Amino acid sequence: MLTRLAYTGAALVALAFGGMESAEAQQRGGAVTVATIGEPNTLDPMISAGDLLGMITQHFYETLFTFDKNWGLTPLLAERLPEISADGKVYTIPLRQGVTFHDGQPMTAKDVVASLKRWTDLASRGKLVASNIQAIEAVDDHTVRLTLKEPFAPLTALLAFNNSAAVIMPAGHMDNPIKEVIGTGPYQLKERKADQYIQLVRYDGYKSRPGEPDGFGGARKQYLDEIRFVPVPDANTRVEGALAGQFDYADLLPVEAYDRLKGQAKTEPLMLEAFGWPMFIMNNKQGMMTKQDLRKAVQAALNAEDMLAAAFGKPEFYALNGAMYPKGHVWYTDAGTKPYNQGDAEKAAASAKKAGYDGSPIRILTSRQYEFHYKMAQVAAEYLKAAGLKVDLQVVDWATLVQRRAEPAVWDIFITHSPFLPEPALIAPLPDTYPGWWASETKNKLLTALNTEMDQKKRVAIWADLQKLIYEEVPFYKVGDFSALTAKAPGLQGFTASPWPYFWNASLKQ
Amino acid sequence: MAAVSSPALAAPPKLASLIVQRKTLLIGLIVLTVIALLAILAPLIAPYSPTRLSVVNRLKPPSERWWFGTDEFGRDIFSRTIYAGRLSLLVGAVATVLAAGIGIALGLIAGFFRRADPVIARIVDAMMAFPDILLAISLVAALGPSLATVIVALGIVYAPRLARIVRASTLIIRELPYVEAARALGVATWRIMIRHILRNLVSPVLVQATFIFAYAMLAEAGLSFLGVGVSPEIPTWGTMIAAGRQYVGQADWMTLFPGIAIVLAVLSLQLLGDGLRDLLDPRLRKDL
Amino acid sequence: MTRYLIQRIVGMIAVMFTVVTIVFVIVRVAPGDPAAVMLGPDATPADIAALRERLGLDRPLVVQYVYFLGQLLRGDLGQSIFLNMPVLSALAERAEPTFFLTVFSIFIASAVALPVGILAAYRRGSLFDQLATTLAMLAASIPSFWLGLILIQVFAVRLGWFPVSGYGGPGAPFLVRLTHLVLPALALGIVSSALITRFTRASMLDVLNDDYVRTARSKGMGEFRVVMKHAFKNALIPVLTVIGLTMALLVSGAVVTETVFGLPGVGNLVVSAVLRRDYPVIQGALLVIAALYVLINFAIDMLYLAIDPRVRY
Repeated sequence: MLTRLAYTGAALVALAFGGMESAEAQQRGGAVTVATIGEPNTLDPMISAGDLLGMITQHFYETLFTFDKNWGLTPLLAERLPEISADGKVYTIPLRQGVTFHDGQPMTAKDVVASLKRWTDLASRGKLVASNIQAIEAVDDHTVRLTLKEPFAPLTALLAFNNSAAVIMPAGHMDNPIKEVIGTGPYQLKERKADQYIQLVRYDGYKSRPGEPDGFGGARKQYLDEIRFVPVPDANTRVEGALAGQFDYADLLPVEAYDRLKGQAKTEPLMLEAFGWPMFIMNNKQGMMTKQDLRKAVQAALNAEDMLAAAFGKPEFYALNGAMYPKGHVWYTDAGTKPYNQGDAEKAAASAKKAGYDGSPIRILTSRQYEFHYKMAQVAAEYLKAAGLKVDLQVVDWATLVQRRAEPAVWDIFITHSPFLPEPALIAPLPDTYPGWWASETKNKLLTALNTEMDQKKRVAIWADLQKLIYEEVPFYKVGDFSALTAKAPGLQGFTASPWPYFWNASLKQ
Repeated sequence: MAAVSSPALAAPPKLASLIVQRKTLLIGLIVLTVIALLAILAPLIAPYSPTRLSVVNRLKPPSERWWFGTDEFGRDIFSRTIYAGRLSLLVGAVATVLAAGIGIALGLIAGFFRRADPVIARIVDAMMAFPDILLAISLVAALGPSLATVIVALGIVYAPRLARIVRASTLIIRELPYVEAARALGVATWRIMIRHILRNLVSPVLVQATFIFAYAMLAEAGLSFLGVGVSPEIPTWGTMIAAGRQYVGQADWMTLFPGIAIVLAVLSLQLLGDGLRDLLDPRLRKDL
Repeated sequence: MTRYLIQRIVGMIAVMFTVVTIVFVIVRVAPGDPAAVMLGPDATPADIAALRERLGLDRPLVVQYVYFLGQLLRGDLGQSIFLNMPVLSALAERAEPTFFLTVFSIFIASAVALPVGILAAYRRGSLFDQLATTLAMLAASIPSFWLGLILIQVFAVRLGWFPVSGYGGPGAPFLVRLTHLVLPALALGIVSSALITRFTRASMLDVLNDDYVRTARSKGMGEFRVVMKHAFKNALIPVLTVIGLTMALLVSGAVVTETVFGLPGVGNLVVSAVLRRDYPVIQGALLVIAALYVLINFAIDMLYLAIDPRVRY
């Protein structure tokens, strides 16, 4: 599904990761109840890219690397950061020693190699690199070497994600679908009752990294005895449960609930700024949106401000920003963003005429799984209508949306959102194959340059050109930046807010 | 010799006075008429367009400008409520007509044709074994959610009730002397059905249909609330409550007014149904 | 007598068979692809096709039907696509909350409806009677999910007397689970009490005018004894019937109520299954619920027969 990563760079560090609680001695023990947005359809983080899945499985499965509090790469199961050869093709990864799986077996290079192979076979992120991999081999019991055919800068980032994840599993447990859940993480699976709870308990054989916690990396302390993930698909019920003190943590709440959660005895709101950005993806392959002038018409017609206001309520919860990354981010550039947020009905109508618009309704596909998608769609429909464009708003459940968007004949625009990814090359609608099918030569040239260039400064410049191209060719429309709201109980200490909440290092006040 | 006054000799009571005498019937009729009028005349009465967005005025409480307040897009809830009434009433009405059509047809055939009876009776029994909402959800899911499929699904769900009543009545009526006589005289079956049987079905069907109208409206609201019914952007009372749920505690008026509208509409239909039952069928006049 | 019994049993089997066929038809007609859901948005059409084949979704309908019947006869309701467990187990796991919710709701509904209905019948035409009848009608007009929302706001969020949602965590004691059921049972119970009240009242009215009651009265029995001993007992049978029939209403109501209150019951499972395109679960739930209903009705009919031999068709 959608990956989430608020990659905000140095200036926004304090926001992406919430501040840690002041040093009050953290107590051991207790069980924490976490309300999530639903039930994951699997506990195998390789086969699906859902945020929910990653959030849960990261407690019992671990990857070689992960992200530190600045969203930089940091080692987790690897001993150190990898050695990369000068030509960028060979990665040598030293592994930590003494790490054991939940069944007591030690983790060795054999397990890592098998896991990485499974990842390249099954995971969408793994498949991105599969054709580029020359070899994955165990140099010795505690070192793994990965050889690429061509340099690929995003590789380490891909290895660090916790969904569609390159988690390390025991070599003897490579079945698909997975039969037993055995990982190396600080908590292990005790019981799963679908639609009721997923119960994790402390893994006593866990060896934490030494030192202090650092984002998802660093030390992982196990204060809590138990973590219970409870699926609560209705957002309002999550809010109400938080208010009543029923949940120690409630994930992804409607930002409107902020006022209700403030000043309460049993819960407090947590805001994660610059969480992600919604986008309207155009069908560049078939139908009326293949005409650039019509896409420009839509670009001119939309009023991003009203769309964001309707979807997120208060200005504190969103930002009008045409650049694909928020201000202060390493990848931020305002190149080409002039056509953002025009709301100009006349200009849109003129552009539509130029495109030879024949009055057929524009089919916009959206879902209520993410309420803000749906709200933006409704506002957008009104603005498009004001420009003389007809709209056919199709509201379906997410499953149907995923199915329909794969067929170019049935939609013109669909709505989705993305986190701020550490690698712009990973932005979902960029590849030719992603629904939307943006297949422009210029784009592909720029993408290849972006992926093979290893110098960061040069990469930012290439990215700026790519962003300009996005505004010229309008393969999709970025609506703005938004923040996410969650809530936690005052008794939950040592908790660091992040896009994938984790509960190691957290404790309950007894 | 006791003189038994036959009903034909007594002065038939005027329909109007009969209605006025029964309070329930009267109240039900009045409330329903008011609601229906509001709904039908919505384009004339509504101060704002139900779809007009005014994001700057979102979530305003009831005031002189917006009698029922505004929703999260700044749309006027009063206007939306009466427009939603059109759709909610429409769904209820058309579903009821559909249920009646299917139910009467099935019931007549089952009652009249010996060979078709066991088959139809089993189908009717089987359909009634499913709880309404579950069956409706499944049917809507099977046909793909839309206004039309919700109506069709509800029509199918409630048809068996009418089929049963019609079948039972048909079985009784076809044994009546004058019907037997007509058959003996060679009158065409369909003629018999229409002239004699249908005429006698009017009261029980009408009473049951009124209740079905009420159930259908409640069911549509439930389906829309669950998100498995009408598309959420079509304003019906059910979708309005579902949309307002997020703002409970912040903008209660969003869920309050559509809810009250449902209660009033369903209540008036029930009063009407009760009153009709008392009025039309002396055998059932049992002070229920 | 035996012949009648056999007739009824055969009839019941015929209905079951029809139920099975109806369920099969409904579920197969549905659009939306469970394979696409399971694999997530990154799945290629090839992956989806492969999964469809593995799940047997691509065989011709008739073949699927025959296979389906065979499975049912073996007691196999299939495997949930989403949950990766047998449908029967999923239903069994979910049965507890729905069962207790239904029982609790009937209990609340009856506790209110029976005394009110009896008293209303007894004091026919009085203010109490009129009030009771009107309130009953009002209660029957309230959408149970709307009532549920209000109850949550008042009693769970503002007053904090009851939990907002869920059924209690792993290993929660029964009493805790009970507190989770109070509000939903109230929401359902209030709405169904309307039907039971009216029916009780009507039954009692019938019976109160019967000959033997008049006889008992003329014999000089105390009013209360007359009412309780004779009238009520005989009015009880049709009332029990209604209570049994209310089961169907309650299961329907449970679907929405469970969703509002987040109870992991069968109703909630069905709604999730519909949204997740989990065909086997939708199928299984419909089958089990309808089958139970048919069986319960059959049992009630047999009870009728045992108690009142005059009833015959």
